Amino acid sequence: MIEPVALEDFFITFFSSALIILAGASYALLFAWSKVNPNFRIKIAAYISYAILIISVAELTQAAQFQGYWLIISFVMAIGYFFAPIGIWHLCVKTHADQDLIKIKEDI
Amino acid sequence: MNTTGSNGVMQNAAAVYEKSRASFNNFKAWVQLDSTHLSDGRQLAVKYFTVAVILFFAQILFGLLAATQFIFPGFLYEILDFNVNRMIHINAMIVWMLFGFIGSVYWFLEDESGAEIVGLKLGNIAFWVFTGAVTLVVLVYLLVQIGPGKDSSLWFINEGREYIEAPRWADIGIVVVILIFFYNVVATFSKGKWSGIAGVLTLDLVALAGLYLAGMFYMTNITHEQYWWWWVIHLWVEATWEVLVGVIMAWSLMKLLGVRRKIVQTWLYIEVALMFGSGILGLGHHYFWIGTPEYWLTVGGFFSALEPIPLVAMVVHAVYDAGTHAFKNGNHPALAWIIAQAFGNFFGAGIWGFMHTLPQINIFTHGTQWSASHGHLAFFGAYATINIAFFYLAIQQWRGNVWMGGGSQNAWRWKWALGLLNGGVLGMTIALLIAGYEQSFIERAVEGSTWGGYFTAQNHPSFQHAMGWRLFFGCMTLTGFILLVWDLLTIGKGETRKAPAIIEN
Amino acid sequence: MNETPLWASESFWKKMAIWVTAGSFLILVVLTMDSLSKTNAGSKRVPAYTVINKKIDYQYDKTLHKSMPIIGENEFLFGKEYTEEEARQWVDLGKKTTQAKNCMNCHTLLGNGAYYAPDLTKAWLDKGWISRDMREDMMVKFLMDPESNARTYGSNRKMPNLDITEQEAKGIIAFLKWMSSIDTNGFPYNFKTIEAEE
Repeated sequence: MIEPVALEDFFITFFSSALIILAGASYALLFAWSKVNPNFRIKIAAYISYAILIISVAELTQAAQFQGYWLIISFVMAIGYFFAPIGIWHLCVKTHADQDLIKIKEDI
Repeated sequence: MNTTGSNGVMQNAAAVYEKSRASFNNFKAWVQLDSTHLSDGRQLAVKYFTVAVILFFAQILFGLLAATQFIFPGFLYEILDFNVNRMIHINAMIVWMLFGFIGSVYWFLEDESGAEIVGLKLGNIAFWVFTGAVTLVVLVYLLVQIGPGKDSSLWFINEGREYIEAPRWADIGIVVVILIFFYNVVATFSKGKWSGIAGVLTLDLVALAGLYLAGMFYMTNITHEQYWWWWVIHLWVEATWEVLVGVIMAWSLMKLLGVRRKIVQTWLYIEVALMFGSGILGLGHHYFWIGTPEYWLTVGGFFSALEPIPLVAMVVHAVYDAGTHAFKNGNHPALAWIIAQAFGNFFGAGIWGFMHTLPQINIFTHGTQWSASHGHLAFFGAYATINIAFFYLAIQQWRGNVWMGGGSQNAWRWKWALGLLNGGVLGMTIALLIAGYEQSFIERAVEGSTWGGYFTAQNHPSFQHAMGWRLFFGCMTLTGFILLVWDLLTIGKGETRKAPAIIEN
Repeated sequence: MNETPLWASESFWKKMAIWVTAGSFLILVVLTMDSLSKTNAGSKRVPAYTVINKKIDYQYDKTLHKSMPIIGENEFLFGKEYTEEEARQWVDLGKKTTQAKNCMNCHTLLGNGAYYAPDLTKAWLDKGWISRDMREDMMVKFLMDPESNARTYGSNRKMPNLDITEQEAKGIIAFLKWMSSIDTNGFPYNFKTIEAEE
């Protein structure tokens, strides 16, 4: 069963949904960047992004009136978006494990 | 009297023919494209690209006509009504993208398989049949438009089903052409060598052709009909097309940036797993309100929340690549369009998709300009961009693999075309977003979707303004398109430097 | 460092891709069979075509948190009760006509289509037809000659004349009446029908 979003919560629904994806992606981006360039500030920025994501998920959960098994989606988003970039990063490292540097031959 | 009359007509026709031949020759002399730079397979590919560009123009033109009718409803009333313009607008889009994909596959088929295309002649015939059939279908759309409520109308005029309006005879023709294309792909790989890319491509084409069959039946029961209709539309656009783009990208990454085959193929498999894993059951978000059981609300909502995961994977991977290698690239426009693809796909499919996909909010946004907003950015971002990138790759080779990196002549053209096209589509998307927001608010939530509510929302100043801005940004898109065509025809002309060869590492 | 673990190997992901695709597709096929059987014309969600002989309404159900179609007593279409086969033929003619006239590229049906004209999902129940007595007649006239009977609500947007015959118009009305009885999980929300008291 679903409970449609209330009129006054339209904006917060659209906004928090967009922010989930945006924050999720920027967390992924900053997390990956902090691995390439081990800078403390980048890492902090990554976790701030993740904090924004958590707040957005909480906002969306309220605005969209999730209840019962719908809460699983909120839960999966909160957990999934945290671990997905870490898992994918490890996958990147391991799949590229035996790669040498790229060679480019200039023809001229 | 009569003979002189017909003689005159004949002479006129001959003169027109001579004139058009002369101007075609002039055009050929002006563009200075040398087809001997291309293999036979690639010559077939550029034919597909050429038609794709023409259909891209048709898409924009008829989109503008339809956009104008939102502001001036009397414009072309009962001559070219909104439904005709809108039908050609979306059909031209589907077909130009298909032409682009087929062209791209023909482009790399010989290179990837290490063999010459087996049924080149057949492929050429199929190209002309396909192009002829598309022309005929469009002419019937324009001149006949509609028919009586009989089967014959669905067989010969149009089927009246959004995106797959093509009449039944053309459906069968499309399947035949796709099968010929499929034969060429499989036979060429069999003659040369198979690869992971070849395997994914083959299976994807089976799915592409097979799914189309699901949309070829008439049904009285509209719930069943829309059920199968979404099988075609969603599973094409959000599954098989995505994978097809993945295949094209995988090959480009090897050739453009010299990434190793093993890595590219592993990641192609990862992407297939993520995209099909989220995309196939993501179909559920189209089954919320068409009469299908309630469990689709959960299935659709859940898998839609997963659909951005492949995009996150791409982000992480891009950073990894950028951070660990320094790339040198001899085709800046192509690379810029591939970057535009990454962003466009992320915003259009990811953000715009997720904003209105959960059933709790979709009940208000379904069937409003929200869908149009999402559709514009997602189709352009995910598919138009990658096709344009391939046009640039093709033109580079057609010119004899000339330098198209930094310091090229007239680089402002491709940069402005890029900016205007992306800016135009983004502008339309935002205008439609505002219109959709207002519509879901006033028409849906407050007035409960009655006809009165619909028109209250349509007449609202914010909606009217949004439609004005949409037309403005549509014109901007057209300007970008014109610049793009000019650039494609002239880029690399007179360039003597060769592009650096990239060897697979 | 140079060892590629199994979970990052090409062959592992090849198998994963195949299994995930096959698994998702299998689930889709099972759900499809279930959904199709639950939405046959004559099922609980999608009523039989003879529903055009009945009065149809759409009301909010507090326990279900959504509006539900309500099928009431006899209310014949064009003053005649149709057999199952006759009803099917009328709806079929209407459905085919909506496709042949390309309605979907201006209107939405079940919310799908274009956005230049109103949604047709509950068009039969729309208040725009003023009263139940006038509805059938108004609809036939509108469909056959939309220009002179234009319903533009101040928008200047007029439906073009689509050469709809009287027979086809009646078919479309039968189709619209039948479609309004489909259980669409509460879509559209908050819809007030022609039956509702002001």
